[in-house]
Amino acid sequence: MMELLSYEFGQRALAAGVIVGLMCAVLAFFVVLRRMAFVGVGLSHAALGGVALGVITGTSPLAGAMTVSLVVAWVIGWLTRRGRLTEDTAIGVLFPTAMAFGIALMSLSATYRQDLIAYLFGSILAIRTADLQLLIVLAAATLSLLALFFKELVFMSVDEEAASAARLPVTTLRYLLLTVLAATIVASIKLVGVVLVSALLVVPAATGQLAARSMKSMLVVSVMAAEISVIAGLWLSWTWNLPSGSTIVLVSATLFLVAFVSRRRADGAP
Amino acid sequence: MNESAAITFDDVWFSYDTVRTLERVSFDVERGRFAALIGPNGAGKTTALRLLLGRLRPTRGRVLLFGSPPGRQREAVGYIPQRVTVPRGFPLTVFELVLMGRYGRLGLGRRPRRPDRDAAVHALERVGLVDLAGRYFETLSGGQQQRALIARALAGEPQLLLLDEPTAGLDPAARADFYNLCCLLQREAGLTLLAASHDIDAVAHHADRVILLNRTVLAVGSPHDVLHAPVLQEAYRFPARHHDQEHGHRAPGTAPS
Repeated sequence: MMELLSYEFGQRALAAGVIVGLMCAVLAFFVVLRRMAFVGVGLSHAALGGVALGVITGTSPLAGAMTVSLVVAWVIGWLTRRGRLTEDTAIGVLFPTAMAFGIALMSLSATYRQDLIAYLFGSILAIRTADLQLLIVLAAATLSLLALFFKELVFMSVDEEAASAARLPVTTLRYLLLTVLAATIVASIKLVGVVLVSALLVVPAATGQLAARSMKSMLVVSVMAAEISVIAGLWLSWTWNLPSGSTIVLVSATLFLVAFVSRRRADGAP
Repeated sequence: MNESAAITFDDVWFSYDTVRTLERVSFDVERGRFAALIGPNGAGKTTALRLLLGRLRPTRGRVLLFGSPPGRQREAVGYIPQRVTVPRGFPLTVFELVLMGRYGRLGLGRRPRRPDRDAAVHALERVGLVDLAGRYFETLSGGQQQRALIARALAGEPQLLLLDEPTAGLDPAARADFYNLCCLLQREAGLTLLAASHDIDAVAHHADRVILLNRTVLAVGSPHDVLHAPVLQEAYRFPARHHDQEHGHRAPGTAPS
């Protein structure tokens, strides 16, 4: 680990990892509560279309990913506004469409395929100073919003109709959550990759849910699980020269397994 | 139309895209009444409640709560759904659920304080669940969960409670228990209640006004008048002998209370 930290790119990757872990873990709490795991998968894969667009046009891939993810997130919000279409169905339509768009663009240019591999599976070498700065701004904005409206988001996630009756701005809160989800996915793409970022939006909270006895402790355990996953995953990625996304997610899944087995033992299951 | 009523539907029409679910719906519910909204499946009961919650907007006509459009009224409104399902194993306690009833009063971004926690405890006392405040919501029985949802609504100090099939899935004893509690709250706190229900027996025993809906309002009046109206048979498509026996208002599939 000390060797990794002796390089500037290693320091940037670790700083980015700690921030990404915090963002994903807090958001994962709502992803689990609202059963939005498939929305997370869909938005992250839809971001691939934006990455491809950015790479092909020579503009910023992250800006492309952000644009496409936000558009897809808001269209999901619009399609599901009356409850006539579920979030899962809406994302089931939009996610393959945006991903197919990305694959078609990728096929047009073989030159950029190596760049795209890094976006698919994450790379420890990919974080530049500008990326870190963007990540800090996104994290500050998304975490502030989640902290400010935490109780309203929990209420809406448990019972939208009752939250409406209490005159909470449910529609605005739904769009806010989708926007924050899209922003977090884009912020995490370089380190974890399009394919695996959705795991960080579920697994730490699932671990927290198994290990905790209250919503507060679930949040704390989720954040701890995410941070351990990111730090240990980056170290493994450096040591074994593996894509950082895969090592981070494998550590995260191991922590989940430990929590699952411990919980079964605590509950007295055979 | 009586605009000082707790609830006003004034020539309301509503369509989901091209499918019309409500047309020419007009009725009102006076303050302090316990009104029941009955009708067969697909009659538009849930749509009517969603209009009252401000989740939908009428295609035509006006929906008013205490004389104002839903969401703009000064009076607090509580909502009790058929059920609330949290993900299995999610550590949401009964107290945390009931405290949510205060969030509408608190304002955006403001944290609950001592008076809010006291109000939640008081609401739990009123429904007899204070001893279960620390239990996970998902571990309660169906009847206890409905009581917790009443407590959540009461914590917001509402003047109107909207109930959507609140006793579906409960056994007869739990159903009677639920409606008795509602009637007690109506009398003690002067609450107005509107319950969308298939449970015609419970309606006959507890509500003081019944609205029979089947896309449009077929009858409005006392339980006796509406449940003996020939139009009830047409709406539910059951033979007359069923609703004149025993308790006088028995529909197929509903147990006597």
